[in-house]
Amino acid sequence: MIRRFPKYYTVFLLMNLLFLCSFIVAAKRPEYHLALKNHLFYPAQIIIPANQKIKLVIHNHDNSVEEFDSFDLNREKVIFSQQKSIIFIGPLTVGEYNFFGEYHPNSARGKVIVIEIKSNQDIPYQMLSPKQGGLNVN
Amino acid sequence: MKVLMFFKHTYWIILVTLSFLLGYTSSVHADGVVVDKVYHPYVLPNEREVEWRLFSAKESKNNKLGQRFSYGQSLTDTLMLEFYLVGERDTYNDFSLTSYEVEARWMLTEQGEFWADWGLLFEIEKQQRKKNWEVTSGVLVEKEFGRTSLTFNAFVIYEWGNTIASEFETEFRLQYRYRYLEQIQPAIELYSGENYLGIGPAFMGIQRFDGQKQLKWELGFITGLDRRSKGHVLRIAVEYEF
Repeated sequence: MIRRFPKYYTVFLLMNLLFLCSFIVAAKRPEYHLALKNHLFYPAQIIIPANQKIKLVIHNHDNSVEEFDSFDLNREKVIFSQQKSIIFIGPLTVGEYNFFGEYHPNSARGKVIVIEIKSNQDIPYQMLSPKQGGLNVN
Repeated sequence: MKVLMFFKHTYWIILVTLSFLLGYTSSVHADGVVVDKVYHPYVLPNEREVEWRLFSAKESKNNKLGQRFSYGQSLTDTLMLEFYLVGERDTYNDFSLTSYEVEARWMLTEQGEFWADWGLLFEIEKQQRKKNWEVTSGVLVEKEFGRTSLTFNAFVIYEWGNTIASEFETEFRLQYRYRYLEQIQPAIELYSGENYLGIGPAFMGIQRFDGQKQLKWELGFITGLDRRSKGHVLRIAVEYEF
């Protein structure tokens, strides 16, 4: 069945190398947690550093399935009832990135705020305290 | 530690082995349509979809027309299965069912976890009347650059049957997409294979409805780049997820 040495062999070889490199360069990510209760995200805002990849762990405490969705973050993830899901975000530039729950888009809403952090002192106190509950949608 | 974890998952090892094998056995002859859809390496659980695709290729006087109807369903968090019915218009302008196909898409890595996102595609197609068969294996890669995404598909196809020579083919597809708005995302697509090289603009988007229901659309106009690839191909895909 093997007919001849392939013309595009180098492409496949390069893909193999890239695939292996993908895992080798993977580093431990800073971890952030979100909870979903009564179809609301807690906290509804999280602040993360710019230009850094993070791991977002979402715990669904509701008895129904939810889907985390964000066009800004380019992520979609199903979170089953009473389970948790992991979403990798970034690296992002400074700005605000909205997300919502597809099954409860009016209540389950939140945003990721990306700021430039040089040291811990650079973060305003009020930004460190989590804002509880969902964002109001009019 | 990450490297050690990698070896715990056997399917990754299978992927590497398979990919090397594909690399060593591919050649560049083919008989099918090269311009199709650029696949993304993602699967969501609980996903069900119906899809319609249309291809119209203008060569000299006549235009070829092909349509695909499919139903797909995710079986697990990472595996999606799709069934296709393929119809084509023949030289007498009669449109009929020409082949059917089963396709499996396998998400290998979590989106955004590694340098790039990886998936695999396996497909088996049978031409109804001619009794020809085609088996495809492919690697799907996507890399995010800010608000843009680069997607690459590499396929190795083996075909055999009553009216075609048994042979291997390779196909490559590339899409560079700008996530401008959810409903409108412009892209550039490139298709290569079967003595064909084409490039052209494409537009795609998503309209969301209640819950997981959403309508995805794609429109592309691919132009042949060299003497082997004359003419234009118009492609349309509409997918309803529920």
